[in-house]
Amino acid sequence: MSCGELERLFLSDAPAGAARAHCEACASCAALAADLERAEALVSRLRLPAASEALLRELRSIPARTVSCEAADGLAAAALDAELSGAERARLDFHRSRCQACAEAAGVLGQLRELAPPAAAPWLAGRLAAGRRRQKARSIWSFLASPKAAIALAYAAAVIVMLSGFNPADLARKAGVGRIEETALASAQVAGRSLADRFGAFEEDAIRRLAVWKGRAAGYGRAAISTAIQLVMRTEPQPPPRRDRSGEDKGLLRTNEIERQMWRA
Amino acid sequence: MSGTEEKALVERCRRGEDEAWRELVDRFGQRIYSVAYHFTLKREDAEELAQEIFLKIFENLHRYDGGFPLVAWIVSVSRNLCIDRYRRRKREKSFRFVSDEAVAPMLTARDDPAADALQKERAKLLFSALAEIPEDLAEVLVLRDLDGLAYEEIGRALALPDGTVKSRLFRARAEVTRRIRERHENRAGSGFASLAVVAGAFV
Repeated sequence: MSCGELERLFLSDAPAGAARAHCEACASCAALAADLERAEALVSRLRLPAASEALLRELRSIPARTVSCEAADGLAAAALDAELSGAERARLDFHRSRCQACAEAAGVLGQLRELAPPAAAPWLAGRLAAGRRRQKARSIWSFLASPKAAIALAYAAAVIVMLSGFNPADLARKAGVGRIEETALASAQVAGRSLADRFGAFEEDAIRRLAVWKGRAAGYGRAAISTAIQLVMRTEPQPPPRRDRSGEDKGLLRTNEIERQMWRA
Repeated sequence: MSGTEEKALVERCRRGEDEAWRELVDRFGQRIYSVAYHFTLKREDAEELAQEIFLKIFENLHRYDGGFPLVAWIVSVSRNLCIDRYRRRKREKSFRFVSDEAVAPMLTARDDPAADALQKERAKLLFSALAEIPEDLAEVLVLRDLDGLAYEEIGRALALPDGTVKSRLFRARAEVTRRIRERHENRAGSGFASLAVVAGAFV
């Protein structure tokens, strides 16, 4: 195939006239086109081989011989309780003999009842029981302390007050609103000053205590770290370095001393 | 049959309606048998392969989503089975020597014995050449030219774009004809007799 033009014309579904025009101008494509025409002629004269009626009967009976993969899932589940009829069992077995995935799934499912239950640790039952009791107690208190409970209680109190006929406006009218306001303002100022003083004193005390504990903790920590370092670095006592009695090396440093000085430098 | 009708047919088959399955077999049985025969060239093998294909179709009906023509889906499901048989046949010694019996079911009987003989020899030449070309080209030629599938159906079945299907088909046809021509030239050059029938393929 020396020329790609004919293939391009073929792929673009070009009209026969365009292909013919190209072939008239191109010898190699003309030869190729002639070959293609012969191939088409060869193929077009053949007819489809006819399937026998026996084969078609066999094909129609397939649902009686096997099951689909999704139907096999349901039958496999039922088969665990031995609820399958003979025909269903045969269809399922036939399907499994052909379908590796379903056979594997059946094998895994069949192992369900063969597995031994894992033994629990002896302390587990006691721990579970204790956990349940603690959970129960905690749940009551946690509910009472929750915002939901506070809102519900507030609403309930308001409803009870309203149902009992108490009206805050009557109380204000009886006591005199002006006096109540003055007294309330003075009380609030006193209470505010007192609260600020108390809060300031508490804050000072807390800061002082915190500084003391912080200092103690740092001291203990340093002591612990130095003790640990001493324990790790502890070595056997070394004999003092021996020097030659001849006095030739007098005034010279020993090898380990030289290394130590180099390391320090 | 529209895509919706095909999907409905498959749904009925899934629900276990025997009538729906019978309809599906009547609609596609002959066509699938043809595909199987073209890949095996042996009646017994083709019948066995067709049964295998329909068993696989029945067992995998839940995988059909109606996204493309049912025949394309069926061919895509059966493709590996067909290719396996095709390779098995290719390994056999007699692969390139197509027998009279192999092509007989595809021939149209005429009154003229000479024309019948010519047609038979041409069919044998075609299938022996088809066996020699790469299988990715051969399968496209079988599905398009022998089984009459549309480009789109072949593309869906083989998961190929239409352009690639056309390109492979073009190359398959060109390869087949080239091999037939070469064989003819070799036999003519070696002086074998009985070339009259073979040469008829190129008349």
